[in-house]
Amino acid sequence: MKRTPFGGLILLVSMGLAMLGPIVTVILWAFAVKWRYPHLLPTEWGLKFWFAMLGRETVITPVLTSLALTSIATTTAALICWPAAYAFARLKFPGRQLLLFSFIAAQAVPKFALFVSIAVIFLKLGLVGNFWGVVVVQMLSAVLFMIWIPTAAFRGIPPALEEAAFDLGASRLRVFLLITLPQAMPALAASYVLAFVSILFEVDSALLIGAPTITTMPLLLMSLSAQIIVQEAAVLCVLIWVPCFALLLLSRRFMTARGIAQGFGA
Amino acid sequence: MPDLGTTSGGIAPRHTQRTGLGLQALAGLALVALPVGLLVTLILWPTVRMVTATFLIDGTLSSDRYFAFFNDAYTMANLRYTLEMGLVSAVTALAISFGIALYLRFSAGRIATMIHGLSLFPLFVPSIIISYALVRFLGPNGLFQLMLEQVGFTHYRTPYLTPVGPFLAFVWENIPLPVLVLSAGLSQVSDHAVEAARDLGAKAPRILWEILLPQMRRSLLIAFALIFMGIIGAFTVPYMLGPPAPEMMSVFMQRTLGNLHDPEAAQVQAVVLMVISSIVGGFYIATMVKSSEAAR
Repeated sequence: MKRTPFGGLILLVSMGLAMLGPIVTVILWAFAVKWRYPHLLPTEWGLKFWFAMLGRETVITPVLTSLALTSIATTTAALICWPAAYAFARLKFPGRQLLLFSFIAAQAVPKFALFVSIAVIFLKLGLVGNFWGVVVVQMLSAVLFMIWIPTAAFRGIPPALEEAAFDLGASRLRVFLLITLPQAMPALAASYVLAFVSILFEVDSALLIGAPTITTMPLLLMSLSAQIIVQEAAVLCVLIWVPCFALLLLSRRFMTARGIAQGFGA
Repeated sequence: MPDLGTTSGGIAPRHTQRTGLGLQALAGLALVALPVGLLVTLILWPTVRMVTATFLIDGTLSSDRYFAFFNDAYTMANLRYTLEMGLVSAVTALAISFGIALYLRFSAGRIATMIHGLSLFPLFVPSIIISYALVRFLGPNGLFQLMLEQVGFTHYRTPYLTPVGPFLAFVWENIPLPVLVLSAGLSQVSDHAVEAARDLGAKAPRILWEILLPQMRRSLLIAFALIFMGIIGAFTVPYMLGPPAPEMMSVFMQRTLGNLHDPEAAQVQAVVLMVISSIVGGFYIATMVKSSEAAR
């Protein structure tokens, strides 16, 4: 079933266009000062809209809100999930398989429908539009990454080294800090990045639980994308997404393809 | 009674395992308690509460709200649109991914590496970014139209704000997952089986149909279930790219709750979507269990 390189080239070009075309368009727009129909490319380039966007408080505030929300939610999720992942991988306790399984099952719940049920409760409690209400709900988006990837990582560490250290009389804490943790660190960092990015761009809960009091970066992006000036949303996209893309690429180096597939629910 | 606080971390040393088993169980439960608690308070309880609430009108049991749901033509049109979108997009994404995975299975070299990289690219692009990017790429006077006009094609009609818009976005987003799953599956099909079939005179379509597809059936089903569930629950893509009517269920729920201020109706819509999703999810889990039993 050997194919000619020609067929591969056609596949490559069409995939390049389909996969990269949309993103390239946004990057072009972000650096375009003038791009009028029917010119294929912008006729005037520059950073005009970058300065305009970065000098505006209605832009800076949502971005800072999003960064604060995301940092708090991701870090809290890491603090409660990583120890749990360790327990799932290394300790024997009743209901372990069932509880671990419940984290996969939770992923099958349609998130938007779930957020409707939470929003109705929060409405009654007066928590809609509350910063901490949004933090708690956004933590849900982190839980899967923070349980699955670290559990797989802890399981992948051969116990022989740990056992050898025990036999030499090291305490549990010492073994964990000096042997287990350093080996798991890349996967933990990767799970943090994946969770961070997915929360940063989360629309559903921000819209149902946060709006209209709390405007996050994705909500700002949504409202900007309906504006006549195309560049504003394009600048915001490039500004936020490019660093995240770099981080994700970096963290991917520490993960197997299977780990990623698992992280996305496969 | 040992202090639980000192047990965080560390597997039980082998020589203490007999006495330490109870301690280990307690430590394990203590460590998983918080995230499990989060699942219970933010997923289990709200869901159970919502299902109960939709069946209660002034304290008495009633299915009137569901009766209203299934008898409203507009609601049913939205539900049908959502399910059709999930079915058509998932099948298309799977077909394309299967083609890519097949190509990757039987080729090597720079082009194959680049195609593999491109097929995984959507993993790194959040829904909101690709939705906005597709508006700019495929929308009126977008880059795609400009490119077509450069080569003389002037009859481009934008898919933006038609059902084709979200369809394309869903297919785009759902290429990487099946490529990963199917590539893993295809790598287990031995070259010998394919070569033997070819030696016996089988043509490529027959090899695909009788050797590759049967072995990939389970992977395909699992990938389909995952993609389908993701699409029918999606909000951002149809909100930004889709037509004003019919609406996909999540957009419909958001409008019912946020604009029409009708939490009762929104909850019924949410429960119906959850039930459909859990049927597909149950089927997915059953397939997984069956395969792990078969492997035993």
